[in-house]
Amino acid sequence: MKSAATMPRRNLVPWKGMLVGLLFGCLVVLNLAPLIWGFLTSLKSEADLFRFPPTLFDFEPTLENYRRVFASGFGQSLAVSLTYSTITVVMVLLLGVPAAYAFDRFEFPGRKPLLLLVVASIPLSLGAAALLIPNYIYFLKLGLTNHFYTLPLIYTAHQLPMAIWIIKGTMEGIPRELDEAAIADGAGHFTILRLVILPLILPGLGAAGVMAFVGSWNEFVASTVMVDNPALRPVQPAIYNFIGYFGREWGPLSAAAILGILPILIVFTLLGRLIVSGLTKGSVKG
Amino acid sequence: MLRRKTARLVMGAAIAVTALWSTTAMAETVRMWTFLNPEGTAPREVALAQIVKDFEAANPDIDVVVEPQVWDQMTPKFLAAHGSGSAPDVIWVVTDFLGDAIQSGSLADLNELLVNNWPEEKKADFKDAYWDLTSVDGKQYGIFTSRNYISLVYRPDLLAEAGINPEDLKTWDDLRAAAEKLTVKDASGNVTRYGFSAAYSEQQADPHPMIPHILASGEPLFHPDGKANFASDAGVKGLEFYTQMIKDGLSPSQAATWTVDDLFEQFASDRIAMIQGSAVRISTLQSKLGKDKVSMSLWPGVEAGKHSPAVMAGWSVGIWSGSKSQEAAAKFVDFMLADPGDKLWTEVGGQIPGMKSTLTELKEFISQPGNEYLSVAATGAAEAGWLSPIEFSVGGYRQALNRATQQVLVEGKDIKAALTEAEEHFNRQNGR
Amino acid sequence: MTSRSTGLLYIVPAFSALLLVLFSPVFYGVWFSLHHIRFGTVGNFVGLRNYSYLLTDPTFSGTISRTVFHTSLSVILTVAISLALALWVHSLPPRRGFLVQMIVIIPWITSTVVATLLFKWVFVSDIGMAMSILRMLNLPDIQFLNDPNSAMGLLIAVSVWKRLGYALIILLAGLKSIPEDYIEAASLDGAGSWQTFQHIILPLLKTPLLLVVIVLTLSNINTVESPLVLTGGGPGSATRILAIDVFDRAFVNYDLASATSLALIMFLCNVLLVLAYVRLSKWKV
Repeated sequence: MKSAATMPRRNLVPWKGMLVGLLFGCLVVLNLAPLIWGFLTSLKSEADLFRFPPTLFDFEPTLENYRRVFASGFGQSLAVSLTYSTITVVMVLLLGVPAAYAFDRFEFPGRKPLLLLVVASIPLSLGAAALLIPNYIYFLKLGLTNHFYTLPLIYTAHQLPMAIWIIKGTMEGIPRELDEAAIADGAGHFTILRLVILPLILPGLGAAGVMAFVGSWNEFVASTVMVDNPALRPVQPAIYNFIGYFGREWGPLSAAAILGILPILIVFTLLGRLIVSGLTKGSVKG
Repeated sequence: MLRRKTARLVMGAAIAVTALWSTTAMAETVRMWTFLNPEGTAPREVALAQIVKDFEAANPDIDVVVEPQVWDQMTPKFLAAHGSGSAPDVIWVVTDFLGDAIQSGSLADLNELLVNNWPEEKKADFKDAYWDLTSVDGKQYGIFTSRNYISLVYRPDLLAEAGINPEDLKTWDDLRAAAEKLTVKDASGNVTRYGFSAAYSEQQADPHPMIPHILASGEPLFHPDGKANFASDAGVKGLEFYTQMIKDGLSPSQAATWTVDDLFEQFASDRIAMIQGSAVRISTLQSKLGKDKVSMSLWPGVEAGKHSPAVMAGWSVGIWSGSKSQEAAAKFVDFMLADPGDKLWTEVGGQIPGMKSTLTELKEFISQPGNEYLSVAATGAAEAGWLSPIEFSVGGYRQALNRATQQVLVEGKDIKAALTEAEEHFNRQNGR
Repeated sequence: MTSRSTGLLYIVPAFSALLLVLFSPVFYGVWFSLHHIRFGTVGNFVGLRNYSYLLTDPTFSGTISRTVFHTSLSVILTVAISLALALWVHSLPPRRGFLVQMIVIIPWITSTVVATLLFKWVFVSDIGMAMSILRMLNLPDIQFLNDPNSAMGLLIAVSVWKRLGYALIILLAGLKSIPEDYIEAASLDGAGSWQTFQHIILPLLKTPLLLVVIVLTLSNINTVESPLVLTGGGPGSATRILAIDVFDRAFVNYDLASATSLALIMFLCNVLLVLAYVRLSKWKV
């Protein structure tokens, strides 16, 4: 399969197909082995977990770990995460599209610095664990912790800068003549956005949306600190719950981790192509 | 304020329905932060769930809401929440940060709320080193639970196989001799099982096993002004004891970067016969290996018959000084940690009892095979235990000693020099 | 499109969210770091004392140089490998390309701690699969974490492994946006494939490369989970990078003053890096 896979369809670039095929072979092992190992571990009983030398298939599979995981409220965490991530995607698009529209189609005071500010705020949304306590105090003082909207709000802000960038890039690819024609017909800005631009940037919205979904699904730091009520806790802290003060409980931990990956894998299988084609339309165009 | 919060929470219930409804009742709510998830299935979590359920049945006017936290962020988060006036009513504080929690004024005096109403026997029942630690200037700032005793954990089956009686491990030299006997090599000379190990990573660090050596010599680990005292002769000798075992192949060299979790997984896979381990983890190990395959003993001594003090730790349960529900909280703390909670923690959770009377009342349970570690740890806590001081902050002392060990092992640094550097590092980080 | 205020109107909702959640906490953090912090509460104003304390820390320069080394090597390797992969995937039939893409993104979509823990268990631990296979083949164990250099190497390798999927997706999208005729025209002109790559594809990939480099750099500098799980900063100080240092100050020593100050210095470096990249690439906004 490897040698067939490396047959170039279009002779694009200088390279040794074999070398990349080999590289990919290593990647397959490095990426799949932990996943398969995690899955097998999730089916093992306590006694089989740490047999030495480790066993691949020589054990009695059990669903006990999955039962334990669901007994500790994991189903609810999945539902909460699904809700949060969906709200985040909707909010990111609702706020991101007008902002991208403004940045791409309007000239207004401070446009350039503000856009740079958006780009510069990407690091702020990348795990600033160190600012956790000051951030927590700030949110406490505003009374924003521990509500049903706390985490969707935070995730929305985290995912917005990247989304604005992607959507703006997609809009760049839409000829301005279309806008002008619409204006000549007497359409307002908002109508143009709604009727002319929006239908053309759907792939870009898909890409931005999937990125936002993955980002909020995997977020950990804010979700452990900003809410306390167990009913408001999403899936990542529920997974980490099995890496507790008394040690790692590999059985339920791997079962929870596998369950936590599944939704993302599904989203990617369904929408994966959309991401690439969505990004293709503009944001990453040279 | 609290009620308004509850009300706002309820308004948000559209998203996370069921669990929220319980807080809408007219009952008074007591919020508690702990690292245990009462919905979980680990023994201690089952015990906590049972205690909460029993308490609410006995006190229908009080609702207990447990809000599980990530354990290493819990105390910093609590102190921040205290500063902003919105902390939970009941809080679990880890030993190393207890001094900070008390000095910050975040903990209420339990004498006023609770202990003064106790009969004298009940007070005496609790009185031990843990009790004294949390009692400052006539005020009681917490009651300990999840008591931890960190000493020698071993495989009785492997020791028996090698003809070693654990009772005979009386001095450090005995321990080393046993480790030599227990180290097994295969035909090609690779070690398949090591005699002894501890974990020396800076992450999730347990206290270094050289500390018992220092304490046994009579030296303190910290000077009265809070400065570190690691590089004493006893300290140098202690560190040498463990690094030499690694150099001689009785302990694995990988231990330099092992976390405690790594160490326990190695022990669970038959790779090590004796480890430095904590009493709180024994029930977990037993569920993997079998009840008869994990035991605990006190540390050996410099001379026979005198056990070296082991480091103790645990979680002190206190009531937030700003709580509006202090009385209800006190009622719950009493129920959870004294009567009938203490027995449940022991029987269901496999935890060391907090009251002496529990030890006698559960005599039969504790003497069952595999449960002896409970009495070993309880005896140790009374006779050969050390708790980190609370007059000054000691955050980072475990890491400093582990880093020194890594430097000796990996960089070949001189032991005395490494410990002196660890002292300086600790002092600087704590502004001393 | 002349109305100057309409544009502002459209960005107000997004910026309100950013202001509330992302920007204001930074200002609060700056204010926080200028005070004496005890027990997590703000005390007296101390000016820049927390910062000067940091800069005089003898371990500081070592931490910085390790961070620069770790980040730059991780980013260079990730970009090089993902670019090679992207070019390869682009040349594959769609179905097969999609399969490759799915396999490469697995580590990226798994939560960092769990992914790193599993990686460590399978490939690094001496009770794991890889070492068992080595032993079965009568080969000696490899103890990555016993040596300062190999520990750093492993940390970089895991960082590349974790982020390759992200880089691949972005670069692949970039490749797909290059019109086929450009490349064909180049081949008709007789340009060799290396020249096609260098003179046509690479310049057209400038923007996606910029995005990848920025995001990879920032996430390498800021991510604490995988180094914590993998090496904990050891052995010795061999893998003690900034993110671990900040984390330890905050949660091991509970020194929030210096942790916050250091985090803000890091943040400032992040912003400067972004601006520098944007400048260097002459990105038009």
